[in-house]
Amino acid sequence: MTRKEFLKFGTALPLALHSLNLRAAEKSKTPPKRVMFICNSLGFYETNFFPKTRGDLSTSTYLDGIKTRDKMTVFQNLFHPGMSTSNHDSEKSFLTGAPNPEAASFTNTISLDQLLAQHLGGDTRYPSLPLSIYDRGWGCSWNSRGAAIPPMHDETLIFNTLFGEEDLAAKKQQITNDQNVVRCLYRDMQQLKARGAGASKLDSYRTIIHELEAQLKHEEFWLNAKKPVVNNTLSADSEFAFSTKIKNLLELSKQAFQTDSTRMITFTMDWINGAINVPGATGGWHSFSHHGNQPGTIEKLTRIEVDIMKHLNKFLFDLDQIKEGDGTLLDNTTVVIGSNFGDASNHTHNNLPTIIAGGGYRHQGHTVLKKPTPLCNLHLELLHRHNIDAGSFGSSEQDMRLLKG
Amino acid sequence: MSRLLLILLTFATNVYAASPSSGLEQIAHQHFETYCFDCHDSDTKKGDFDLIGSLDKGDFDSSLLFENLITGKMPPAKKKQPSPEERRSLLAWLAQQQVESTPNSFRRISRHEFVHSVNDLLDTNIDLTNQIPEDRGTYTFDSDRRIQLTKEQLMAYFTAADEMLEFAFPANGFHPETTWVTSSIKESHETYRIYAREHKDGLLFSWMRSNNGRPYPFFYDHFNPPVKGWYDLTFDAAKMGEFPDDISLMVFAGKYFYADDRPQPQHLLKVISLGNEELKSHTVRVFLKPGENVSVHCYSKHTWKQDKGEQGAYIEKLTARGPVFESWPPKSYQTVFAGLPIEAPDRGAHAHITVTAQTEAMRSVIKRFAERAFSSPLSEAELKPYDQVALDHLQAHGDFVAAAKVGIKAIVSSHRFLLVPGEHRNDSFRVAADLARSLWLSVPDQRLHELAARNALNSATLKIELARLLAAPKSKRMIGSLCAQWLNLRSHDNVSPSLKLYPTYNDLLNHYLPIETKSYIAHLIEHNLSVSHLIDSDFSILNQQLAQHYGVDGVIGQKMRKVSFEPDSPRGGLMTMGSVLKVTTDGFDTSPILRGAWVSRNIVGNTLSPPPENIEVIEPDLSKATTLKEQVAEHKKSKSCLSCHKSIDPYGFALESFDATGQWRTQYRVKTEHHATFQYRPEGFFKRGSQVDASGDLGGSKFDNIADLKDLLLVDHTKVAYNFAKILFEYATGSAPSLEHRMDLHEMIPTKAEDCRMRDLVINVLTYSHTRK
Repeated sequence: MTRKEFLKFGTALPLALHSLNLRAAEKSKTPPKRVMFICNSLGFYETNFFPKTRGDLSTSTYLDGIKTRDKMTVFQNLFHPGMSTSNHDSEKSFLTGAPNPEAASFTNTISLDQLLAQHLGGDTRYPSLPLSIYDRGWGCSWNSRGAAIPPMHDETLIFNTLFGEEDLAAKKQQITNDQNVVRCLYRDMQQLKARGAGASKLDSYRTIIHELEAQLKHEEFWLNAKKPVVNNTLSADSEFAFSTKIKNLLELSKQAFQTDSTRMITFTMDWINGAINVPGATGGWHSFSHHGNQPGTIEKLTRIEVDIMKHLNKFLFDLDQIKEGDGTLLDNTTVVIGSNFGDASNHTHNNLPTIIAGGGYRHQGHTVLKKPTPLCNLHLELLHRHNIDAGSFGSSEQDMRLLKG
Repeated sequence: MSRLLLILLTFATNVYAASPSSGLEQIAHQHFETYCFDCHDSDTKKGDFDLIGSLDKGDFDSSLLFENLITGKMPPAKKKQPSPEERRSLLAWLAQQQVESTPNSFRRISRHEFVHSVNDLLDTNIDLTNQIPEDRGTYTFDSDRRIQLTKEQLMAYFTAADEMLEFAFPANGFHPETTWVTSSIKESHETYRIYAREHKDGLLFSWMRSNNGRPYPFFYDHFNPPVKGWYDLTFDAAKMGEFPDDISLMVFAGKYFYADDRPQPQHLLKVISLGNEELKSHTVRVFLKPGENVSVHCYSKHTWKQDKGEQGAYIEKLTARGPVFESWPPKSYQTVFAGLPIEAPDRGAHAHITVTAQTEAMRSVIKRFAERAFSSPLSEAELKPYDQVALDHLQAHGDFVAAAKVGIKAIVSSHRFLLVPGEHRNDSFRVAADLARSLWLSVPDQRLHELAARNALNSATLKIELARLLAAPKSKRMIGSLCAQWLNLRSHDNVSPSLKLYPTYNDLLNHYLPIETKSYIAHLIEHNLSVSHLIDSDFSILNQQLAQHYGVDGVIGQKMRKVSFEPDSPRGGLMTMGSVLKVTTDGFDTSPILRGAWVSRNIVGNTLSPPPENIEVIEPDLSKATTLKEQVAEHKKSKSCLSCHKSIDPYGFALESFDATGQWRTQYRVKTEHHATFQYRPEGFFKRGSQVDASGDLGGSKFDNIADLKDLLLVDHTKVAYNFAKILFEYATGSAPSLEHRMDLHEMIPTKAEDCRMRDLVINVLTYSHTRK
């Protein structure tokens, strides 16, 4: 398949059947590559986020305490072009780079995670796992038709989807029916061929039916495969519900990676109006994000962001504790932590706070770009890093090879 | 003569000399010499084109020469003209020179054709088109034979078929019809909730837009459709206020969303026009899914941001009823299981409909369905695979309806259904399938089947049948599809006019603009009016919203109707329709080049070569000191630019009188500086710029404005008609007409404009498209 075709059609679940057979063997050899995107939809307060001394992460209020500091790079001076009239809708473009998300007729394009999932996800039960805090019906994941893929937000449901027992009778019946339909179509082609029907037409159709059959086999495989057994360790702390939610979703992400249930997770940390409660602050996250440089408000916003960083810190540390191959799970997982906003208070889309952690790269700590650089350059680089031969992505200009090693 | 001799000598050494057409070739070359060589020789090379040299080398674009000749562009009007016979010989020779391209002998049906066909076969009405990927790529026509069926597409059809079958014959039965009433709205953002105020027993809505300019919808409380299906929404509502026009009550559906003061897009279900009447019940039938909430937005320019007083749209209550079915048991059972015992319990409770029947009945269900879907009688052997898959299921599970669903899924996944032409018993069945697909985007009806069974679809009966199919409501699908493809109205929603420059543009107008175009074309066909109406007309199909946009007075209410224009109106015809004017811009500025090229190619019917590579693009820049026209006039400086741009720029100039929303203007608007977050305001963010100059020169004839230009175009209706014929041919067959086909199409065009009528043209071209050899 050429790159153009690949980008044009996308592939729902690309799968060479033989990879199923190789799967077990391969698993023991090289650990799989995984990617996770985390979008903090209200940004990070810039003064606390970026290192005050260039290159020294310990001079950042938020990053100083990160235990896996030597396995991450903070990028400064990345921006999203084409967002001039955009507000909170810019979240829609975080992983797509599509311009003017605020326009009434905006249609999105495929998001980076979905493109990567087509490549990384074929051998797992869930090619991708989009998550969010709230139930808004959309997050950062968009399909090849530019339609939102609704993220999952209910922890129990996510746990059951990943590890729980399901009644699969209906799904299995559906697959059986479809396989019977495919057999019927083969028989129909046989009898038509015997009557001398158009050969080129039949040939082109047979190829597709063949691919469809493989797809059904793939689905059947996963329906019959046992789900991994995982203890439910979800927290039920309701005092700090917001905090609990983030903690739980990150815990589920860790378990999903660890059991190789998916290799692509996108966590949209979205917001709604109304007060939230974190240690040391109660109030509207959105209201606080429009701090207008009021010290009192910044203080409260900082409490929320510190809380978020605390969970991210634990998540990265946990991944790094899990041995895998010659390294750790973190070494095989590229974790991108970022936001659609540079300065959420003024709704700007430049100097986007961006961290790349793990992934086995030779990390640089702090990379300050000389001039404003489209975030999509980094998106493009991530595609290339995962062997996807894309010429461009979103607003990308070029692959700048910002990741080393 | 020496020149000709030279050419003939050269040709003698190549393949042409051996062809049986050498007699024709000699004649053609004589005519070229007589009519063309004076200007297009190696010395004069008019328009940078040396015909002698090109013929000599055998290196020429026969289709370009052909088009220039057939549309009368060449020889130019003031030069000596070939007689009709001479022209025909030239065309015939050029047609022979066309490089043979054999399009695929088959094509896949489009997602639109799939959904309409399956709906008609199942007697359901559920639009799943948007769930199936658009596989058209960059091709203009959905039917293009170069598009291949892919696994992704087949998977999508698999899923869509499941959903449609499940909608028709739900495994878990039918939800009882329920009715619920609501008169309160859900909490909305503090900035807006003041514009829905309590009044009498209900709510009074004023008009306002959210700060990003979108309509702010108020969501009804206690609203959750239990299952997906059709619902009747009855609004007890009245217009309040002493002004002549109606208030529009826009009914949206979407996910309730309170988080933001910037509402997420809802989809517009229906518009209710509230006139000068007492409180009245207005019922609309809409399709809803669980999780979708109904919201309203009441538009009237007279009630902008009123938070007190007694003006606005008063809605006492909303009564919702559903899911509703036109008949019980639903028509899908009566159609698919006709003649079998259908047991349908009363709808008062959750209802399981069952069909009790056995093997032979299943065979007849499958046979009836497959013969309609494949448009052919089928032998026992042909039916066997489909029978078998259904009967196996029946045997294993004993559920007749469930088993039939599996068989039907196989039928609509078959290449006999998805790839056309299928395998047909006789040619009449093939023609019947083609006709139904072109006009209804669907499968043949019973009458077409009967005619085909007698193999009686011939040139005589075909025209009668075409007229019948055109008169049926389903032909609206063809009009919509044609407008989407030919006039690119499918991109209409992709262009969103800047609310800084065009603050009055709104969702209601956006909804009606393409409806005007579709209604107008339907009207031209229905009343068999002259093809010249594509260029100009003294009427259009408008409503209150469109009339206000066009500055036409006295049109009250949102019902579409025929409205006459004043004699001095610039409107009339396709070029000056808001939809076309909007879709040919980027939503901010208009480009006379892009718009001109589009109109020139698609409506006027000029043949344009693609723009050359490596040229500097002229981007109209209103901030420059030079006028737009001076900037575009750069084209005149170079002969090679001018040869094409003289057929592009004039249309663009004349249409400069219309802004990116299609509204009349005499002055440009220039955006004013605007920092920080965009906040909608009714006066926009612009200042007045330079005056519009809509004059120009078309082939030596000067014009001052669009009206003059239309007059110039009306002189020759054949080019417009010929272009329309070619488009219709390609729409219907999935490949562009060959030059020989084009000669035939051109022959169909009556010489007098008043004799060249739209319905006749459609019927003649479609007859030709589907029966040509």
